[in-house]
This record gives sequence, structure tokens and C-alpha cells, in this order.
Amino acid sequence: MVTAKTTSLGRAPAQLAGGWEVGLLLFLVLLYVGGMSVNPTFFASTEALHALLRDTSRVGIIAVGMTFVIVNKDLDLSVGSVYGLVAVVFARLFAPSFLDLGIAASVLLCLLLGAAIGLLNGVLVTILKAPAFIATLTILFIGRGFVLALTHGQAIYYSDKANEFPLFFHLGETNVLGFNNQILIFAVVAATGAYVLAKTRWGYETFATGGNEQAAVYAGIPTRWVRIRAYLISALCATLAALLSAAQDKGVTPLYGVSWELTVIASVIIGGASILGGRGRVIGSCLGAAVVVLIDKVLREGWPITRIVVIDGENVAVNARFTLPAGAVLVFLGLLLVAAVLVEPYLIRRQVAGRFWAWLRGRPPPPAYEMGGVALEGVQTKGAMAGDLGLETAGFGRFFARRDALAIVLTVLLWLTGLALRPDYWWNLSNTFAILLNYTELALIAVGLTYVIAAGDIDLSVGAVLALAGSTAAYFLKVLGADPLTAVAMGLLAGMVAGLVNATVTVGFKLPAFIATLGMFYIARGLAAWFVAGQQLTGWPESYNLLGRKANDVLLHFGFSLPPGFVRTVAEVVSVQTIWMFFVALAAGIVLAYTPFGLKVLSTGGNLRAAAYAGINTNRVRFLALLLSALCASMAGIINVAYFRSFNPVAGQFRELDAIAAVIIGGGSIFGGYGTMIGSLAGAAAITLVRALLQLNVQGFTMPQHWINVFIGVILIVAVLVDIWVRQANIFGRVRSWRARRGQAVEAKHAG
Amino acid sequence: MPGETQGTPIVEMRGIEKAFGAVQALRSVDLVLYPGEILGLVGDNSAGKSTLMKILTGAYQRDAGEIFVAGQPVHFKSPHESRDVGIEMIYQDFALCGNMDVGQNIFLGRWPLTGPFVNRRKMYAEADRVLKRLKVDVNSVYQKVESLSGGRQQSVAIARAISFEPRVVILDEPTANLSVMATNRLLETMLELKRQGVAQIIISHRLVDIFAVGDRVMVLKRGESAGDRYIRHTDEHEVLEIIVSGTRERALTAEEAMR
Repeated sequence: MVTAKTTSLGRAPAQLAGGWEVGLLLFLVLLYVGGMSVNPTFFASTEALHALLRDTSRVGIIAVGMTFVIVNKDLDLSVGSVYGLVAVVFARLFAPSFLDLGIAASVLLCLLLGAAIGLLNGVLVTILKAPAFIATLTILFIGRGFVLALTHGQAIYYSDKANEFPLFFHLGETNVLGFNNQILIFAVVAATGAYVLAKTRWGYETFATGGNEQAAVYAGIPTRWVRIRAYLISALCATLAALLSAAQDKGVTPLYGVSWELTVIASVIIGGASILGGRGRVIGSCLGAAVVVLIDKVLREGWPITRIVVIDGENVAVNARFTLPAGAVLVFLGLLLVAAVLVEPYLIRRQVAGRFWAWLRGRPPPPAYEMGGVALEGVQTKGAMAGDLGLETAGFGRFFARRDALAIVLTVLLWLTGLALRPDYWWNLSNTFAILLNYTELALIAVGLTYVIAAGDIDLSVGAVLALAGSTAAYFLKVLGADPLTAVAMGLLAGMVAGLVNATVTVGFKLPAFIATLGMFYIARGLAAWFVAGQQLTGWPESYNLLGRKANDVLLHFGFSLPPGFVRTVAEVVSVQTIWMFFVALAAGIVLAYTPFGLKVLSTGGNLRAAAYAGINTNRVRFLALLLSALCASMAGIINVAYFRSFNPVAGQFRELDAIAAVIIGGGSIFGGYGTMIGSLAGAAAITLVRALLQLNVQGFTMPQHWINVFIGVILIVAVLVDIWVRQANIFGRVRSWRARRGQAVEAKHAG
Repeated sequence: MPGETQGTPIVEMRGIEKAFGAVQALRSVDLVLYPGEILGLVGDNSAGKSTLMKILTGAYQRDAGEIFVAGQPVHFKSPHESRDVGIEMIYQDFALCGNMDVGQNIFLGRWPLTGPFVNRRKMYAEADRVLKRLKVDVNSVYQKVESLSGGRQQSVAIARAISFEPRVVILDEPTANLSVMATNRLLETMLELKRQGVAQIIISHRLVDIFAVGDRVMVLKRGESAGDRYIRHTDEHEVLEIIVSGTRERALTAEEAMR
């Protein structure tokens, strides 16, 4: 008998931390030294180091949970709003001015809330099969809506009552050893997380699920539970962080956790996790969190400068501090996210550091990993399950089998509802005009987005690009005194650059569109806020504003006066932008439905590989679709500024939500391959009418704006689920045929 | 009939070599295919069947060797170039867009035009004509492909391939995902194509199918040719034996084996 000789396998690869983590640590030290050199008064104190660690703690705790989600090849965009919502709910439960509950009950209810949100995320993503980014993005917006609604935009403080419960509130304070208790809790959470992910069955299951879910299923791993579990961990980590912040601040403002999802995801990705799943380490994520928090601090703290001030004709040097405007930090963090997602596939997976080190020593490079071309492709799943609906039915059935039927029916129903609620007002010319205006902006964005969604990608940045284009145009008009034409050109240019970045990262670097456009979502909005910082962007030549005026006003401006009558009535309701939108939509609709380019878009979204085999340049198609989406959003932004005669930093906020919902209601599929212009326009109409209805004053009651956003979020998630389950999986048809089969079986039994 | 009528081969591959890093995937492989012939390509997993076909279509580049199509030396850099000389491949998963209808799929990427617009009438009429030529029944050219059964989807894929008027069709595991009924329909379709003079190479694990329609079977073993046989002069047992224990040294060509 041959005995197997044990040969040395060499040292097993490190599980908890590796070269990347060491590099991050070095980078962190460098960054800190850099911070010290630009701002010695702040960073050179132990106080600063302590504050850095304290603030890293909360981000880091959420990053620990997020690592599990990202290694699963999922994404949790809702952490920031879970953090904010839990802090607010804690305040509402605990504060004497509200429910005035005890500390134990408050904490318990908060934990239950966090677990419930995590479970909801998990169920939406796994059992209901909604794409992770769209499900959690909706939860993000809904959570934000709740935060604003529950606080009414006000801060809540409860420091007096907090003194009665030192045991809990001490968690957020400095302990007898001289450092903050949060740091201790962070250390415990990070160690537990690192151990669980790297060494236990749970962790191995997570890596298997993220690496190849199908293979994991075949191997008997309950991947649904693994993914739900990660969402639970993530939400509970956010809850813990929120409770720590409650303990520290003894109060809450509605701004808690705003854009924290960006900070946390950037941390995890910088920490070496792959947005494409299957790779990631908790220690790396924690170091990533420290890097991001430190960068954030360096940017926010600014650096001391000497400003020369002229007083009474004399130059006097004054010590001042240069700080970046608020939007700038967001821009840098967004750029960091986009750069960081490139790190894993292009630096870590290609072993750039290892090969460089070998090259320096003149050694042969380490063996390259087998690089599967598929591994870098974004997620593209399709539901190829629909039945022969379209051909078997006739009449009404045939209409309802159309993918855009829902939107058309909804539009009619909603309009009739408005008429029923306010027969006196709904008909009104001014109301119709207002609805049409809101509709125009949304429809214009939806036109571009239809192409992107049909091509199988997504653009989360449309609202932010709208703001960027608008603010650029306004900046050129007001600050630089440019003429209207230049301003329009510059606004379009800014929007197109944003679109170019989206398209390059998505197509050129082969990363999922949602992560590229998520980065742009923050970058563009940050830039818009940067432009507007400290200035009132309003008051410029009226000729620019004609872009947003009614047709009649434009004619009057040029000295035409229409005779009273039908034409004039129409001209008083229809504005320039509506006419413009109509022509853009018409052209885009014809191209999508009747030209080869439109069919190429649909086939790219339907089956990328088949389209490529057929000789279609799918990269070009996706690139152009993303550019078109940015172009439409830019036009909407330029018109928005012209209509309001000023730039408002909240322009286009939540528009990405509306636009995605419009396209999906209108028959688009979140998995790509479907979408019609008529459907998207009808979907935009439905969303506009929902907003108009919710704002309607019915017998003295109007719904607050925050609740409207919650409502739109719910509509989006319902639309996505309807698309997946009714249109694609044809669940009603399956239930019907199952019933019919059972009926037959029963009959057969009776007959036999 | 093959064996008797030689003439010019439509495809001839000589001494094909291909290595992936340290792995020698193909070692001096020869392949000959005559017009109207159905050649079965069999062998174990990782025997190099798919690699050889991908080299023929230009999806992979060969390291050494020569390829002649109808006597002309060729060097394809991509599948689109091989398509231009009449070589079509039907992929195992059909490579169709489920969200589009049968007509649009048959003309995927080369939709007929009038001006800048797709000529829908011509597209559907042509698609119908191609399907009729294949004698397959697909309810309607307006039907979405994702609502078709696996066998019908494959019919669409074949219709798509022959709409290019190819001289050679390569089928990669065509019966792997099909029911018995659908398999029989496919085999009829292949014979119909053969009657129209189209040469076919079928990669399959199922010897039954190859013996049902094939003229000749070629065995690959670990990247080397282990010989070929005329279907009429062999049986499944012999082919299986070659697959399991054949070597290049003992390989016989179909003609040698007949003697």
C-alpha cells in the first residue's frame, strides 16, 4: 500500500489581512503626516487622533456589516438612511417631548426597527429578486423621507433625560482610560466581523455566494439566507452606529447619515473588496474607513492661510482658515468611490504591487491568475420566462399584454381621480400648466434614461447631472457674465462631461453602471453645490429665461401678439420646453422603434453576448445610451434654471427616482432589453400625476413633501416588482394554469 | 457519397497547434470536410473540440498550421471574417435575444433597411422564407424568442445561421438542451440542410445523434487526432473504444480503416 507522503504546502495565504492592508496602513500614516503639515494646529494634537478614531468607529462599524453585503456581490445603499432613521426614532421614543419611553425599551425597539429594515432589504433582493442597488436605493429615499417627516426638519435634543441613564450614554463618551468607548466597541465589532468572515462557516458561505451563486446553490449553500443574513448584519451594524451617535450627541438632526452610504461603500472598496463580489476583508474595510474619514477630515478642516486684508488703505495680514465649500467634500468622496472601484480589478487582481516589487528586484513576476473574461462583466440577469401572452389574446387582453398598458391605464385613472377630488380646480388652466411643466422635466429625463435602461444599464446620476448643467449655466450667466448661448453650451458641456465619465467607467473599465453613476450622483451634485456656494445665482438677461417660458410670452417678447382664440389659449398653456421635449421625445422614439440603432440598443440589453456575436458593437451602443441620458438630463437642467430664473441647489433632487420609476412603469425592464418611448412618456405622466395628486389640497389637507417622496419610493419598488413578477415571470398566468391543471386533475379523479 | 466522391474539400485544416500558457490544447490536428458532408466531432471533455472549432471560426488564433476554405488559404481574425466566407457557428446556448421577436433575431445586427429605418415588412417576409426553407414550424415570426421552447429557439438559431447562405455550419452540442422530440426535429433539419449542400460539423457527446445523421466521425483525444471513421463502416462500440483508448500513433484515417 502506498502511503501518501505529506509534502509541505507552504504557508497558507493570510485570511485576516494581507499586503493590501499593510499598504493601506502606510498610506494612512502618510495621509496623517500630510494632514499635519498642512494643518499642524489641528492634526498635530493627540486630540485630533482621538477624534479621528472616534469618528472612524461609527463609519467602521457600518463598514464591517457592508463588507458582508459586498462580498456577497450585493450592495446596501440604505445604511446612511438606516443610521439616520434609527437615531431619529430613538430620539422620538426616548425624548421627553415625544414618547418618553425608558432606555431599554427605546434601544430594543430601535434594534427591532434595524432588523426589520435589514430583513426587508434582504427579502426584496433575494426572494423578490429586485436588483440590490434599486431596492436599497429606494429604501434609502424612503428612509430619508421618514427622517424628515418624523423630525419636521428640526433637531431633537434630550440631554437632560440622558443624565438619568449614565450606563447607556457612557457608551458614547470618554472612559476612565482616556479614550472613547466607541473605539472599544468598534474594535470588538471589527474583530468579531473579521473572524467570522475569514474563519467561520458563515464567512466561507459568504465568499462562495459572492464568487458564484449558482455553484453555491448546487453545493447546498442556502444562498438566499446567506444574502438576507448579510443585509441583516449590515442594518444591525448601522443601528449600532446610530445608537452610539445617540449616546454621544444626546440628540439628533435630520442630516444624520446623509450620504454616509457613499463614505461606507468607498471605505469597503478602498479596503480591497470587489464590487463584483467574492473578495473582501473586514480589516481592510476598517482601514479603508479610517482613510476615508481622514480624507474627509483633512478636506473639511481646511488649512490655515494668511489673508491680506486692506484696512484703511493698509495691508494687514490676518490669520484665516481656508476651507472647501460643503459640496467639494462630496465631489472628492464621489471621485474616491469611482477611483476605488477600479482598484480591485485593475491593481489587486492584476497583482500590480507584487509584479512591481519583483521587477525592482529583477526577479520573474509572480504567476498571473487565470483571468476569466466573464468575471469582470457586470451583472446581467434576465427573466426569460414570459409566456405567449401577446399572441394568444385579443381585444382588451391584447392591450393589457402590452408592456406599457400599466402606465397608460394609470395615467387615465390618476387624472380622473384628480378630477373627482377637486372638480373645481383640476380642470383649471393654471393647474394644467403646472402639471405640464413638471411633466416636461421628468419626461425629458425619462427619454434619455429609456435608452440606458433598454440597453441593460442604469443611470442613477440623472438628477445630479440636471443640477450640474443648471448650475453651470447659471454660473456662467451670473458670475462670468456670459451671453445666453455660451451659458447653454457650457451647461450642456458640463453635463456631457459627466455623461462621458459615466460611460467611460461603465463601458471602458467594464464596471457595473450603477456604481459608476452612483459615484457621479455625488460628484455632480457636489459640484453643483460648489458652484452655488456663497452666491445667489439669480438675475440675468431675460432672453435666457425664454427657454422656460410659455409660448405666448416668447411671442410677446419678440413683438408678436396673438389674437384671442384657441391658438392663444394653447400658447398660454404650452411652454417652449414642452414643445422642445415633444420633439426630442419624438425623434428619440422613432430612433428607438424604427432604426437599427434602436434595435441594437434592445438587443444589447436583451442578450449582450448574442448581440456581440451578431457583430453589434455593444460597447458603442451602451456608451451612446449613457451619453444620451446625460444630454437629456443636461437639457432639463438648463430649462429648469430658465424657468425658475435662478438656480436652486435642490433642483433635480429625487428626479432619478421619478425617472427610473417612469421608465419601469412604462414597460422598461430593470434587467434591460425592454422599453418604449410611449411607455416611458406615459410612465412619466403617471408619476407627475401622482405627485400632483399628493400635493392637492383636499378639504384643507395637504400632504407634506417628505411623505410624497416616501410614496414615490414605494411606487418605484412596486413597479420593479410588478415588472419582474407579473410581466416577466407571468405569475398570474402561472397561477391560472396551475389552477386549471388542478381543476383538470380533480375532474379526472371524479371521472375515474 | 463521401468516401467515393472526393473533390475539393470545403474546409481543410492542417497541423493546427494551439497552446494556452503551459497547456498544449491542440497538437498538430488535421481536419477535412467535404461539401454536403456531416462530420461528427467527438472526444472527451477537454479533448480540444471546441478549441478547434473556435480556431476555425476565428474566435481563437492558431499558433501554427494552415486552414484552407474551398482551396484558398485563410486567416480569420474574428468570427465576422469567417462568416464572410460562409462559415457559421451555432452556439450551445443559441446566442439569441429573448426580448426580441423571431424576425428581429434572425436578422440580428443586419436588419434590412429602407433609408435610415428598418424595413420591417422585408425583414419578416425574409425571416418567414428562411424558416420555410428549413421546414421548421415556428408559430409566428412576430413571437418573442423567450416565449419559445428550447427546440424552437434552436430552430431560430439555425435559421439565423442559414440566412447567411453559409457553406459550412458548425453546431456546438446542439442536442444538449433538447427533448427527444426536439432532437428528432433537429436531426431532420440537419438532413434538410445536407440536401441543400451545406456541410456541417456537429460537436456532440451523444453518439446516437451522430450515427443517426452523420457521414463521418472524427475523434479528438487530449488535443490530438485519434483518427476518423465512416459511419457506414463503423459502429458506436468502435468509436467509443477510440475515444477511451485511442492514440495518435494508432490513429487510422477513414480510408485506411476501410482496408
